[in-house]
Parts: sequence; structure tokens; C-alpha cells
Amino acid sequence: MSPRFGADVAERVADAMFALSAPSRVLILGCLLDGPATVKDLMEKLSMEQSTVSHQLRVLREYELVTVERVGRTRVYALRDEHVRGLLERAVDHVERDRSQGSKRRRATGRGGG
Amino acid sequence: MFTPTADRRSLLDRAHRGDIEGAFGRLAAVDTGPRRSRARRLAALAAIVGPGVIVMVADNDAGGVSVYAQAGQDHGLALAWLIVLLAPVLFVNQEMVARLGAVTGAGHARLIFERFGRRWGRFAVGDLLVLNLLTIVTELIGAALAVSYFGISRYVSVPVAAVGLIAATSTGSFRRWERTMCVLIALNLLVVPLIVMAHPRPSVVAHGLAPVLGGGLSGQLVLFVIAMVGTTVAPWQLFLQQSSVIDKRITARWLSYERVDTLIGTVLFAVVAIAVLGCCALAFDTTAWHGSFVDAAQTARGLQARLGTPAGALFALVLLNASVLGAGVVALSGSYAIGDVLGVKHSLHRGFDDARAFHGSFAGLIALAVLMVLVPGAPLGLLTTLVQALAGVLLPGATVFLLLLCNDRAVLGPWVNPRWLNAAASIVVGILVVLSALLTTSTLAPGVDLVKVALALGLVLVVVLVGLAVAHSRGHSEREGPAMTPWEARTWTMPRLETLPPPRACRERTIALVALRCYVLTAAALLVFKALELVT
Repeated sequence: MSPRFGADVAERVADAMFALSAPSRVLILGCLLDGPATVKDLMEKLSMEQSTVSHQLRVLREYELVTVERVGRTRVYALRDEHVRGLLERAVDHVERDRSQGSKRRRATGRGGG
Repeated sequence: MFTPTADRRSLLDRAHRGDIEGAFGRLAAVDTGPRRSRARRLAALAAIVGPGVIVMVADNDAGGVSVYAQAGQDHGLALAWLIVLLAPVLFVNQEMVARLGAVTGAGHARLIFERFGRRWGRFAVGDLLVLNLLTIVTELIGAALAVSYFGISRYVSVPVAAVGLIAATSTGSFRRWERTMCVLIALNLLVVPLIVMAHPRPSVVAHGLAPVLGGGLSGQLVLFVIAMVGTTVAPWQLFLQQSSVIDKRITARWLSYERVDTLIGTVLFAVVAIAVLGCCALAFDTTAWHGSFVDAAQTARGLQARLGTPAGALFALVLLNASVLGAGVVALSGSYAIGDVLGVKHSLHRGFDDARAFHGSFAGLIALAVLMVLVPGAPLGLLTTLVQALAGVLLPGATVFLLLLCNDRAVLGPWVNPRWLNAAASIVVGILVVLSALLTTSTLAPGVDLVKVALALGLVLVVVLVGLAVAHSRGHSEREGPAMTPWEARTWTMPRLETLPPPRACRERTIALVALRCYVLTAAALLVFKALELVT
């Protein structure tokens, strides 16, 4: 049976997941689930430093999860499309489910044991 | 026994995580167990060797080769001692950046931005980029000089070299890039047979090596020594090796191997530099050429006349190769810094289409330098002076930041500098600062009595060093971090950069930053003064 996708797709998936691999970036994306926001909004909501927010937004743009639009003199950031919303929501569902049955599962697979 | 991977959490590019793919071997990311047999240790070293060797051998670039040739041709073997002294300085500096890269996973530029603020960050990166551009111009001039020996026009050679460099860098394979660099390094070592051709006789060598400290210490010699130090210790090396260690995916687990890599590089640097110097010293000793260096191409012709056609051709080839290697790595250090600051993908593991900003800025830097070289009537002599003056402004900043970062417990945890290294590095940094201040002064205000300025600066240096030592001995108890087992210390990595507490204000830090600010302001004032003088 041939694999469902090739190495280049795997690389791109890994890139997209890398963008989700820092808690501060996930928090920023979480805020953007509620709608577009400026750097200032994000700073206030997350009580993060301006440099952190700007820097992580640039990484998110580089990995094409976020778009930017100029409105007058300010830049407004938004999730790139509905796919990103779905990806994020399903990731959150995934870990929440894990937590609710976590302890049982962990013992069953032997994780955390010697 | 299972060893966890020391995962660097502040990476900006996914390509900086994964298996090490070196020119001479691979290391899987999960394969971090102890190396018990000599064969396995050698295999790991072979996979890791690269960043240190490349940065050190590339240090003998166009500027380096011509300055060592001049040292040999004009001053005989006496200045070979300087290279022996410079090698440990280089090693200490490069070991510190390699450690920063392996432990933090964040590039040098980004660390400066995050730990010293945006203003210092912009200053450091802006200065680096301008200086790199001018250095690439000098590399391309070197390449043009070298091919002129073979009778090829610079309008052919320079664009060909530029296109070749861009093609070799944007293949999307780190391993292929490293192999290309290794070929260039091997070609640089061709200078070693040259010294055999120069027929070194033990008696002559022993006589020539006698250090000249008593007589003949003129202002001109002081300036030349400074120029030699300035071309050897350059800021791009710091930025390049840190980014290169990160891009090669070397973690703290492999730091001891990376130190060996840096050591091998240091030895190769000294061998090549001394070979260039020695060959020119021996070939031109007691001839009319002695003391009348013009440029590297003339030296190649001189070698041809003294030692035969192969020697001249070999020297020109080494010069060409050194220039191309230098241009490639200097431009790379610039584009790594850009990617690092902007947070865009910046990795040699990615091809042109995948990391356009990274490869585009590399190509842009090279193309701009090509234009500057090929425009008829470009003031190339002025450019060389500018390179030296700017290097004088940037180097103190870069080394002070380096030393402060290596003492930042939030950044390096148990990997901060031990006290003896701080003492040694402070003295080295202090001397470098004084030398580059002297150089800046002499380029901007020729005619100043250099000996007096040197004495004054030396006094300031002693005061600052004593102040640092006092501050250090008083505040040493607060330096100790939380107790860690050796195991925890070895696998420690920096937490995410954005979660670090702001740097703690301590006396050493304040003294260093205030001194640095004074220095930058003085240098800027001198630059303005010089510019006004040129205008009127």
C-alpha cells in the first residue's frame, strides 16, 4: 500500500505544527479565535510584552497561520482562514479529552512509570 | 542508559530541530547516549565538525591573506608571534558563542534584542549589516586581484563567483553546503606546500623568529599590528558561529564535541596564517621586495619571480579561494541575523522557495557588493578605510554584549562563564576595545600622537578592569544559582526566551553598558567630526 502522502507534505505539516509549538503563540491564536485584533489588544488581553507579541505574530505570519491587514495606521491581525480555526479547536479538544481520562490512560500505557 | 535530548525551546525555525547532518556523518536527534568507545566518539566528532572549522578558516579571508602577506613581506617573521597570540583570543570568543548557540537555540542578534533592548539590538544588527556589506566588497576586490594574476577580467570573475556562491548556498541541503565549504577549506590549505617551496632554513627561521620589542616600535608598526588584529577578530564570526551551531542542530549534549571542532578550526587558522606570513617572509627576505608591499596580486608576481611560476599561481589561487569563502560566510552571517531578528525561516536546510527572505537577503547582500565593486571609479580605497573604522565601532559592542550574555544566569543557567574565563575574557575584551579605539582614532584623526592616546586608553582600561574586579568580588555571593545535580546541569537548556525574567541590574553590567555607551558616543562624535572635515 502506498503511503497516503509524501515527504514534502509531511515537511509542511511539521512546519505548521511547529508554529503551534510555543505556548505564547497558542495563546495569541486563542485570542484571535474571537476575531481580529491589534498588537495592543493582544498585549492587554494576555499581559505579554509588546516585543513578545510582535515577534510571535511574525513567526505565525511566516508559517501562514495569521494574516495582517493595515487599517489606517494600525495593523490588524486575524486567523488566516477557517482551517486554522478548525485546527486550533481540534487541538484544544484533543488535549482536553486527554486530561479528562488522563490518569487512567497514562497508567494503561505505562507512561510515567519507571 | 537513556539520555533525554537537551531540547532547545526558543527555536524560531522548525528546520533547526532534528538530526545533525554534517559533511562527514549523521547523528540522529534521539541518539544522545554516551559514547563509550573511541570509534563512536570519533564518529560523533566527524558528524559535528564544521561550524568551528568553517568560521575559523574563513577568517583567513581576502583581508586576512593580504594583511599576513604584508606582515611577512614587510616585517619578516617577527609578527608570526602575533598570530600565535591571536589564536587563543579567537578560540575564547568562538567557544562562548558556540555555547550560547547550543544551550539557548536563539541567535546572537535575537539574544541582544531580548536582553539589551531594541535600541542596542538595532545598533548591533545595523552595524553588522553595513560592515558585512563592506567586508564582502573587500572580499570581491581580493577575488578580482587574484584572477587578474591569471589575466581574467573582473567583469567576468566577480559575477561568476557571486552566482556560484548564491547557487551553493540555496540548495536546501545543509550537508551539501557544508561539503562545499570543506572543499574551499581544503583549497585554502594549499598554502602549506608554499612554505616548503620557500626553502625554510632552520638558522634563518630561528633568527627571524626573535621577537622585536626593543627597537623599531614606531607609530606605523603599532597601526599595522592593530590592522592585523582587526582583520583577524571580526564581529561577523560571532554571529555566524552561533547561528551555524543552531542551524546544524547541535544541542548542549554535543557541546564538548563542538569545542573540539572550534579547537581544530583555531589550529587550522594559525597554520594557514603562519604559512602565508612565513612564505612571504622567507621568499622576500634580503630582496628589493622586502618592505615594499603594494597589494596581494603584486605579492603573487613577486613570489613567481622568486620561487617560480607554480608558487605565484598557488598564492593567487589561495587568495581567490579565501576571498570566495570569506564572501560566502560573511554574507551568510548577515542573512542569518536578518532571519533571526524578523522571525522568518532562516535555515540552510530550506531551499530558495521555502525561505525567500533568508536566501533573498543573502543574494541581495552579494549583488549589492558586486555592484559596488564593478561600478567604474568606485572609491575602493575609501571603502577599505571605512571597513576598518566601522569594525572599530562595532567590535567593542559585540564583545561586551558577548561577555554579558555569557554571565546572564537566566540565559545560560549552569553554563555561564566560570570565573577564570571571565577574568581572561575581560582582559582580552579590554585590549580589543583599546586597540579598536586606537584604530578608530587613527583612521578618523590621522596625525594624533598614537603613543599618547594608547597610554591614556590603557589607563582607562586598567581603571575599568579594577572596577569590574572590585564589583565582582563584592557581589559574588549572589551569582550562585540554585543547586543542581551534575545531571540536571548537563541537560539544562534555556526556557523560552519570552518567559525569562528581565536581566538583573548588577554593577558589572552597569559599568560595562555605561562604558560602551560612552565609547559609541565618542566614536560617533569622531565620525561626525571627520565627515564635517571632509565636506569643508
